[in-house]
Amino acid sequence: MTPSKTVKGSMSDQNGPNWNDLLVRVGSHQDKAAFGALFSHFAPLLKGFLLKGGGLDPEHAEELVQETMIKVWRKAPTYAPAQAAASTWMYTIARNTRIDWLRKHSKRDQQTDELVAEELFDENETSSPFTALIQTRNAGHIKTHLRELPQEQLQVLTLMYFQGKSGQEVADELNIPLGTVKSRVRLALQKLKLKLSPNGEDSNVVFAQ
Amino acid sequence: MINNHPTADMLTEYSTGALSLAPVISITTHLQFCDRCRESVASLNALGGALLGECEAAPISQQLLADTLDRLDAEPANVFEVEEPEQPFLDPKLEDQLPAYLHKFVGRKPLHWQSLSSSVSVAPISVGESNYELALHRLNAGGRTPAHDHKGMELTVVLKGSFSDENGMYHEGDFLIRRPGDVHRPAATQNQACICLSVLEAPIKLTGLKSVLNPFMKFNPS
Repeated sequence: MTPSKTVKGSMSDQNGPNWNDLLVRVGSHQDKAAFGALFSHFAPLLKGFLLKGGGLDPEHAEELVQETMIKVWRKAPTYAPAQAAASTWMYTIARNTRIDWLRKHSKRDQQTDELVAEELFDENETSSPFTALIQTRNAGHIKTHLRELPQEQLQVLTLMYFQGKSGQEVADELNIPLGTVKSRVRLALQKLKLKLSPNGEDSNVVFAQ
Repeated sequence: MINNHPTADMLTEYSTGALSLAPVISITTHLQFCDRCRESVASLNALGGALLGECEAAPISQQLLADTLDRLDAEPANVFEVEEPEQPFLDPKLEDQLPAYLHKFVGRKPLHWQSLSSSVSVAPISVGESNYELALHRLNAGGRTPAHDHKGMELTVVLKGSFSDENGMYHEGDFLIRRPGDVHRPAATQNQACICLSVLEAPIKLTGLKSVLNPFMKFNPS
């Protein structure tokens, strides 16, 4: 492995602006120009991400995009580029914003009070230099191999990540067995060379929301 | 050394946002102890970031950026330094035994410990979850729980101390998955009480005792 090369190629767009640096500037200097640049790039992606998730009309999607970007502004001082690429960090914020929105608008869990997803996930953990190295390597693998994934694996990942669907819900939607969904996820992760904790004993654990 | 972890499937659903509140809390609690699973989650999140970066952009309204900047102007500076909310109900003796991450959940409302037997007590934690019961379990040093089986899934994270059952010995940070039909009889180690976080999906019944006497097992979402 040639770390220096991998770092540059994976954590930032080689030809475009370095989003990580811009995000750091937003956090350290409340730099509105940097925020504007991030916004122009990520807001349309976030909207695409949320719309593809379904269940949202374009107007609500923009509401959530705005909410996500405001959180990005507020939380930018806690952003650590060694831990995650800007897009990864924004993904977690967008996911949490979506979870909160869905919970607020669902019939179930009406009694849900002030707890928000951000408190549940607790992303602000420090990581070791070793973790940072692994993350850099992972980002490189993902970038290299994501486009090579077979359509059926990409489809399952898209349903899970964009729509927040559980494995069981994806199985129901595609009318395939849960085991097939799980094996597609597993094959995709293998192809992307993402190593998960090896306790991955298969089971019928289902935790629908 | 942590030997028991969430499955890869659970970590994936955790990262994609498919899990319900209480399972999310149990996994985040495990992550406080387990670097390996934290790395797995970071990898899964990185995949989410890559999918976001590659996704088809949708045009946004022209004034959205200006609107957003206006809203930011209305914000006080340094809003990110929010004060930690007070935890009026967090027992200082208990506080030391729980990872800091759990303080905000445990300290929100008074805990009501109920004795389930001479050596086991339980305190439900209210998080506004309707599908699962989240609770702390305490086993006194050397205590044994009655043998019980599970009708629903039960997740357990060892927070302090250790316990054992027929299948092995579990230490701080271990994440256990009990499936419907599993029967077990946990016992704490002799010299230390054991505190666990548990997520219970559905009632479990005691084997060999009348269900009325069943301690844990009233399913009481809170």
